[in-house]
Amino acid sequence: MSITQRVQQWATFGRVWHVYDCSYQNPFDSAKVIVKYLKGMQKPIYHPMNDCGDHVVCINTKQIALPGDEWTKRAYFHHTGYPSSATWTLAWELHSKDPMMIMKKAIYRSLGGNLQRRHTMQRLHLFKDDKVPQEVLDNITNQIRQLRPVPQRLDHIDQEVIDNFPKIMDYPEDYLPKAIK
Amino acid sequence: MNNLIKNIVCRQSFWGYPAARTLFTTPATRVKHIEISQEKDVVTVRGKTVESGREQLLVPQIKECARNGERFCPECSLGLDIKHTDVLILSQYVRSDGCMLPRRVTGLCKRQQKKIGTMVTMAHKAGLMGSLKPANCKKDPEKRYGFKKFNKYFFEDTIKLPRAICKQS
Ligand SMILES: [Zn+2]
Repeated sequence: MSITQRVQQWATFGRVWHVYDCSYQNPFDSAKVIVKYLKGMQKPIYHPMNDCGDHVVCINTKQIALPGDEWTKRAYFHHTGYPSSATWTLAWELHSKDPMMIMKKAIYRSLGGNLQRRHTMQRLHLFKDDKVPQEVLDNITNQIRQLRPVPQRLDHIDQEVIDNFPKIMDYPEDYLPKAIK
Repeated sequence: MNNLIKNIVCRQSFWGYPAARTLFTTPATRVKHIEISQEKDVVTVRGKTVESGREQLLVPQIKECARNGERFCPECSLGLDIKHTDVLILSQYVRSDGCMLPRRVTGLCKRQQKKIGTMVTMAHKAGLMGSLKPANCKKDPEKRYGFKKFNKYFFEDTIKLPRAICKQS
């Protein structure tokens, strides 16, 4: 085996570390994408029996976004096994207790059930903010593209940009800027 | 004194043309700023027109529409597809406390007024316009109570709109 082939062999079977920024992303849509990287489905050598999955580092899981009123409508069921110990926790309550749990459960669920699931989950690394240990950062070589654009807050835009932005509305002549008290 | 001024201003200019009074013997006072000055025993109340500071930045289609006597709408006239995340556009249609301006001021068609008004609400709920809030509100969205402190987004196609669109060629 020549040097080139040997390096090709390493590159093919080496585990790549991807980073995914969860801020303002839907966890359930993101999970479908992340699962493909965890299983290695983006590789031409993919086979369910082939151990070729990659690592994914999810950062900013506290900043995930849910559409509409889903924070108060989505419930997480838990049962300890004892009688009358069923609990239904709303998504926002679960997220205040553990900011990584919704993302973890979304990915765990979309992995689908087989015996490989627990081992695949070991390759997922969740962080609630952008403080990632250096030894994890050293491995990362790729970034997964975000699914939704991150919206910009008005108070984070420079006042100069706001003032010089083209205007599409002007006040009528008889408009009183401030009501008299 | 303040009540008196309020009455005068409200009756004559602030509310435009009230239904009970459609006939005027004098022209309706068009004012943007009420100036009150006091000299010895004389109190002078004067209406003063103030520039809004937007004239230089206005898109040229507004003046074109005004010349042709047409209504100007960002979607009907410019073909803009505004989302609730476009805070630079939405913030032009609100008061300093973040409340949507009425149609009499914005000059939009009914459909656009409803749509932009709902998108302003969406932007507020998503915490994108924290700087435009009443003084007693929490300006930082992460300090809001309960589920409100978490990020959320909205779909614009969930806004229920009247069927009729702006009458234009
Ligand atoms: Zn219109």
